[in-house]
Amino acid sequence: MPTALRFALLATAVLLAALLSLTIGQRSDVGITNVLQLLFINDGSLARSAVVDLRLPRTLVAGLIGVNLALAGLALQAITRNPLASESILGINQGAALGVAVGLVVPGLMVVNLDVMAIIGAVLAGIITFSIAGGLGGRLDSMRLILAGVTVGAFSFAFVRFTFTLDDNLSRLVLTWTSADISSARLDQALPLLLWATGGLVLSLAMAHNFNILALGDGASQGLGVDPRRARLIGAMLAAVLTGASVAAAGPVMFVGLVMPHLCRLWFGTNHRLLVPAVALGGAGLVLLADVVSKLVRFPYETPLGVICALIGAPYFLYATLRARNMA
Amino acid sequence: MSIKSLVAGFAGAIMLVALPAQATEITHDLGVTDVPDHPQRIVVLEYSFVDTLAAVGVAPIGIADDDKRDSVVPAYTKVIGDEWTSVGTRKSPSLEVIASLKPDLIIADTSRHEAIYGALSEIAPTIAFDSLTGTYEVAMEAAKTIAHAVGKDAEMDARMAEHTAKMDAFKAEIGDVSGWSAQFLIDNGEGIFLHSPVSYNGSLLAWFGFKSNMPTPDGHTYEEAVVNTSLEQLSEINPQIILRGKYADPGLTDSWVGQPLYDNLDAVKSGNLFDVTAHEWSRLRGVIASEVSAANLVDIVKQLKR
Amino acid sequence: MIDTLPAQRRTVAPSRAILLIAGLVVLVIAAALWGLSVGAVAIPVEVIVNTLFNLPGEQQAYIIMKSRLPRMVLALLTGGALALSGAIIQGVIRNPLASPNIIGINSGAALFALGLVLVFPAIPQVWMPLAACLGGFCAAGFVMLVAHYRRLSAIHLALIGVAVGFVFEAGVDYLLIVSNDSESSAPMIWLTGSLWGRTWAHVAISWLPLLTLSALALLLSYRLDLMALGEGTATGLGLNVPRQRLLLLVVATLLASVSVAVVGIMGFVGLMAPHIARRLVGGAHRLMLPVAMLVGMLLVVFADGLGRAIAPPVEISAGIITALIGAPFFVYIMLTTALEQD
Repeated sequence: MPTALRFALLATAVLLAALLSLTIGQRSDVGITNVLQLLFINDGSLARSAVVDLRLPRTLVAGLIGVNLALAGLALQAITRNPLASESILGINQGAALGVAVGLVVPGLMVVNLDVMAIIGAVLAGIITFSIAGGLGGRLDSMRLILAGVTVGAFSFAFVRFTFTLDDNLSRLVLTWTSADISSARLDQALPLLLWATGGLVLSLAMAHNFNILALGDGASQGLGVDPRRARLIGAMLAAVLTGASVAAAGPVMFVGLVMPHLCRLWFGTNHRLLVPAVALGGAGLVLLADVVSKLVRFPYETPLGVICALIGAPYFLYATLRARNMA
Repeated sequence: MSIKSLVAGFAGAIMLVALPAQATEITHDLGVTDVPDHPQRIVVLEYSFVDTLAAVGVAPIGIADDDKRDSVVPAYTKVIGDEWTSVGTRKSPSLEVIASLKPDLIIADTSRHEAIYGALSEIAPTIAFDSLTGTYEVAMEAAKTIAHAVGKDAEMDARMAEHTAKMDAFKAEIGDVSGWSAQFLIDNGEGIFLHSPVSYNGSLLAWFGFKSNMPTPDGHTYEEAVVNTSLEQLSEINPQIILRGKYADPGLTDSWVGQPLYDNLDAVKSGNLFDVTAHEWSRLRGVIASEVSAANLVDIVKQLKR
Repeated sequence: MIDTLPAQRRTVAPSRAILLIAGLVVLVIAAALWGLSVGAVAIPVEVIVNTLFNLPGEQQAYIIMKSRLPRMVLALLTGGALALSGAIIQGVIRNPLASPNIIGINSGAALFALGLVLVFPAIPQVWMPLAACLGGFCAAGFVMLVAHYRRLSAIHLALIGVAVGFVFEAGVDYLLIVSNDSESSAPMIWLTGSLWGRTWAHVAISWLPLLTLSALALLLSYRLDLMALGEGTATGLGLNVPRQRLLLLVVATLLASVSVAVVGIMGFVGLMAPHIARRLVGGAHRLMLPVAMLVGMLLVVFADGLGRAIAPPVEISAGIITALIGAPFFVYIMLTTALEQD
């Protein structure tokens, strides 16, 4: 199949997922037959408001965090040369949740607001995981990376769960936040995400060549004129910022960064010039589909996005580890 | 004090000393327990049990007050005083503090304290009732049983008669509201939580004759009583009256002002959204609490815009 | 990847080892006595002595005999068990970052325990420990079977363990959300690892399996030493490495599952205790295992006492204290060993 056709198919799938995400909801007066009409024609009805004011921002947020997280995962896998690296496995998402929980439970420790707390948590967790894995010494050990990430994640979740034993109201707040509930997403949350996603896409495309070279090993990279340390640093920063922005907007959404680069590699090969746009599209599609599932699984009640992504992603991770015979 | 009452008091005291400590058999949610007659040192692990004791004029020595003394509201403290010891949070009360109070009766919540029922029973006879997920009717039954356990049947009968009269009067004042749908919800800043028809507040509203547009769940679990909802779903339920308890200010609902879907909710459009005290409505239950809520309702119905 | 355990080759003189063990025993006893005296209600020493030996004078029968004493016993039992479990798993996987958590025990136990309480509310919560034990064993059992039959490397085994852990963890999150149930406290407190509300009933169901398994683990320690020589050498010495690995992992899994069942997810003990032990007496398992066990006991007893004493009447879960101590310690250990290797 020509590459252009693959991209066209992928893009169609994303559009369909977006349409489904817009169509499905609790209101009975919005259906597949009239959703496009409602989206583009302002008839002043409440159904129009539901589509434009509630579902559109939510669909945008879902698609954009999909782009961000998938690109972050791709960058992490490229710089660690480990196909299992991603935000959730390295403890970054859990660190973000811990940041939020600390901000809510100990208001004295709150820096600016919960969004900033999420980013601080994500970055700290990432730094700790990488330093344990020997990243500071410039020699990443992939096994240590994953074990360290899991431990950092476990530590973060221990604290997040501890807050559930506290005051009823506090525990509910933390739970809403850490399960990535985007049911009340607003347009002003989607706009910054769009900026980050665009920036991330551009930078990823610019780095695509470096990522390709990095896969050949440090020695070869240096021979080909790519400073591996610099490339890794840029890649890590890119992943941290994209993850932080997503977590700030929605909360920790697990496994998107793992699943999408994997699937795209199967379909588009290992060339990052193709992978970057494919992963971005695929990430959007995956989270949009997860959003649809999150509305349907307990209809009419919603299930937060983070939970659905974990339920989809964790078995995939298991499948990936079982399939790979000689990993790490 | 008359001679007569002095004598009666003496006689009572002698009876107490002379008779061996009798026990009353109490059937409750987690079994059947022998409770000593006239327990004096009572520890309660939910606010609704404070309510019941206050209704019959008994002061508990220990309350799981979530380590916040003002969570026990003045309506209670004017009866029970403020001499109680905090035994920690309702979720995980301190067994050591409870034991150090040397209680002769512990009143626990069925679902919250099931796992430590054994440990509590080792400290003192423990009776458990469904406060967290029980309805108004369940709370009234529990109140009667608790009053029986603490030997205050007569007081409770009198208080119940007063309560029924009060509630009937409130109901008469509220009038026929069968044409109105009302919904109580909690807004904690990140989410809204609707109290369904099987919750305490839902059943209280139903008692006054309000309709609910929420589907009635089959069971009585916590997730069926308190439902996390989005604006879109609220717009489908579209109650005519919203009673809102805010734990955060500004709440999530405040951020929806200006959105057509929110502004067009029947309750919002017609100005029938009323703020009530979140703590009193969502956490307190029982004879006294329901009278407070009912008085709120009377005020609210007076302001209803038709 | 071969990540040798730090200080693997260092051993200490027997006399020094005996002294160390004696010192640790004294410390454990001291911590246990301290644990009896601290909590939401401060109890003077003479009252403790009066109560323990039923002497005349003031006693605090409930708090000492029915609350703090069973908690102390459980802390000793599970602290030792978790430490042994962690030491064995680190030895088998030959990676200092491994712990019972790594092969999915905690997540499996959490899912089954929560599932029991939230999905089948009709079943009494006294069955929760059994469900937790079963869940831990299911998760770890799956990992071990896959690893055994596909003859996977230790590293791959750890990876699958991590993945299985994530799957169960996703289930836990789903249950937490769907049931909206941070209200009933017992499963939540259990998730953070706590001795709150533990009584002699919990001791009664756990002491026999924990003691038996701990003894078995100590007996098996020499096989870990053989395996530490590397798979080839161990096979040459007549050891059936895959079978021994399975046996050791089964023991480790049972130790951790039973502990998790009674006290919940007590983080970092299985990770920390073996490291401290290795620093103290070196990597030879014959010596390291008992020392790790004592260190684990010390950690949990201390964490439980501290959790009770910090903010009475509110109790901080012991698992949170061990995590609070454990996390910085973990980072320190990992950073220093990373530097050593560079």
